[in-house]
Amino acid sequence: MDTRPRLQSSKLSAPQRRVYAAATIYFVVVFAAMMWPIYPWFARARPLLLGMPFGLFYLAALVVVSFGVALALFVWELRSGVIAGADER
Amino acid sequence: MESWVVVSAVTMGYLLLSLAVGLASGRGSSKTTEGYVAGDRSLGFLVMYFIMGASIFSAFAFLGGPGWAYSRGAAAFYILSYGTVGLIPWYFFGPRVARLGRQRGYVTQAELFADRFQSRWLSAILALISLLAFLPYLTLQMQGAGYVFEVVTEGRVPAWLGAAIAYGVVLIYVYGSGVMGVGWTNTFQGVFMMVLAWGLGLYLPWRLYGGVGAMFEAILERAPRATEMLAAPGLDAAGNPWTWGGYSSAIAVSAIGFSLWPHYFMKIYTARSEAVLKKTIVFYPTFQIFLIPIMFIGFAGILAHPGVTPADAILPTILMSMQLPAFVVGLFCAGALAASMSTGDAIVHAAGSIMIRDFYRALFRPSLTDAQETQLIRIVVILIAAVAYYFAVVSEMSIVLLLLLSYGFLVQIAPVLLATFFWARATAPGVIAGLLTGVAVVVLFDRVPSLQWQGIQPGIFGLVANLVVLVFVSLATKPMAEEHVRDFVVT
Repeated sequence: MDTRPRLQSSKLSAPQRRVYAAATIYFVVVFAAMMWPIYPWFARARPLLLGMPFGLFYLAALVVVSFGVALALFVWELRSGVIAGADER
Repeated sequence: MESWVVVSAVTMGYLLLSLAVGLASGRGSSKTTEGYVAGDRSLGFLVMYFIMGASIFSAFAFLGGPGWAYSRGAAAFYILSYGTVGLIPWYFFGPRVARLGRQRGYVTQAELFADRFQSRWLSAILALISLLAFLPYLTLQMQGAGYVFEVVTEGRVPAWLGAAIAYGVVLIYVYGSGVMGVGWTNTFQGVFMMVLAWGLGLYLPWRLYGGVGAMFEAILERAPRATEMLAAPGLDAAGNPWTWGGYSSAIAVSAIGFSLWPHYFMKIYTARSEAVLKKTIVFYPTFQIFLIPIMFIGFAGILAHPGVTPADAILPTILMSMQLPAFVVGLFCAGALAASMSTGDAIVHAAGSIMIRDFYRALFRPSLTDAQETQLIRIVVILIAAVAYYFAVVSEMSIVLLLLLSYGFLVQIAPVLLATFFWARATAPGVIAGLLTGVAVVVLFDRVPSLQWQGIQPGIFGLVANLVVLVFVSLATKPMAEEHVRDFVVT
């Protein structure tokens, strides 16, 4: 029997792979959205939102939304059982 | 009682408490190197969470963050940006690193790469690159700690003595407790700093302007060059508008380099399980968001205290001008010390482990016993702290020049990581040649700024050269045995 360590992806189903692909694409897009040429479109002082300049609010929103996406991915992994050691949190 | 006495007493009390927590925490772990360096791979979520949080809470963030916002405006936003995605790569490769570490006994970053490429030289080169990246960073943390002491005691305790006291405490608990000391003091210090950052960041704009929104309105109406200050890319160090190339590449280099810092990478091995590791990564942004109130502190100084130099002194300057109770000022000073120490302790601990395991043992003494090794690590921890202390208080050399190179060097490890997991054809000569070329290009572009097209950071040019050389040299050399490689490469 083959006992070599296996990467997670090798035993994933097609729908599970799609979830990882979507999450990867999301984080690459966020990475790009903080830099030239995307961020200059949002890098402005007004309007002030939650008291912050618009460009700072935009970045803060990316942090919060990305936290939500990562949390959703984690919860999905726990529920679908693809995560190891889920019993010992 | 004079106020400096109260402030000093609070600060000293805090240091003693850190020492007690640090020493008490090492008692549970085993006496092996695995216990000293990787905490017997048993760390739970809470400690992991605060160890990673300490990566944000450094002396740089506490003093430099407000300083950047104060003098360079929106340029400071880059510090907030890179952390958003900086730890995400761990989510995808971290569990695999942890699993290989458990199976094959790694406790450092270079051990993984040296095993994959079967090369002691790769291990030694990575150890030296890590040390080059660590030293300036550790030096800055020590300078920050010394500076805090000097301000607190109104010069009665000079910076050299202050740095010696704070890092004396760090050495005692790192020497005694290893990674458990680092973990539990960071937990204690992290809670303290979170409360302080949010408290000050919201209180100062409210006290000086009546609120955060009112503060930014006032800056937009009255500050010179207000629009450039409040919209990225902000200003450069000389006060001129920063380039988008400089701003964007600073984010790119920092985001890529962040997950590769050897002292944080090593913490992957300390997690008790995959779930703990992933949960730490998911909750990391709850720490990172603290940079927003930290930046508010700097913005609050723009109209209230124009012309403060160096800009990093803006936070102490505002605090001293507000006639706050001595007890509160003491708490702030303790917080700044906590920021410095919680970053510095992880670095000295990692630097000691890396120099002994990845450099000394790999090249000269493969037969080292566990007890000898742990003892040597402890000695090197003290040596490295002494060297950093020399740069921090004795040497006249500007360490900031080296600091700029830290991330440039770190980024050069990214191709090694990619080749380890994703390219079976990569060879040891390939990754070593790539690494050395990348580092050389970073130094060259740093020395000759006119080469930096569009103000792009040297690390990016090094990365490109590194990747090209890695691919060509690997293809020109003999492939590694498939049997060995398939244990690592993602299929």
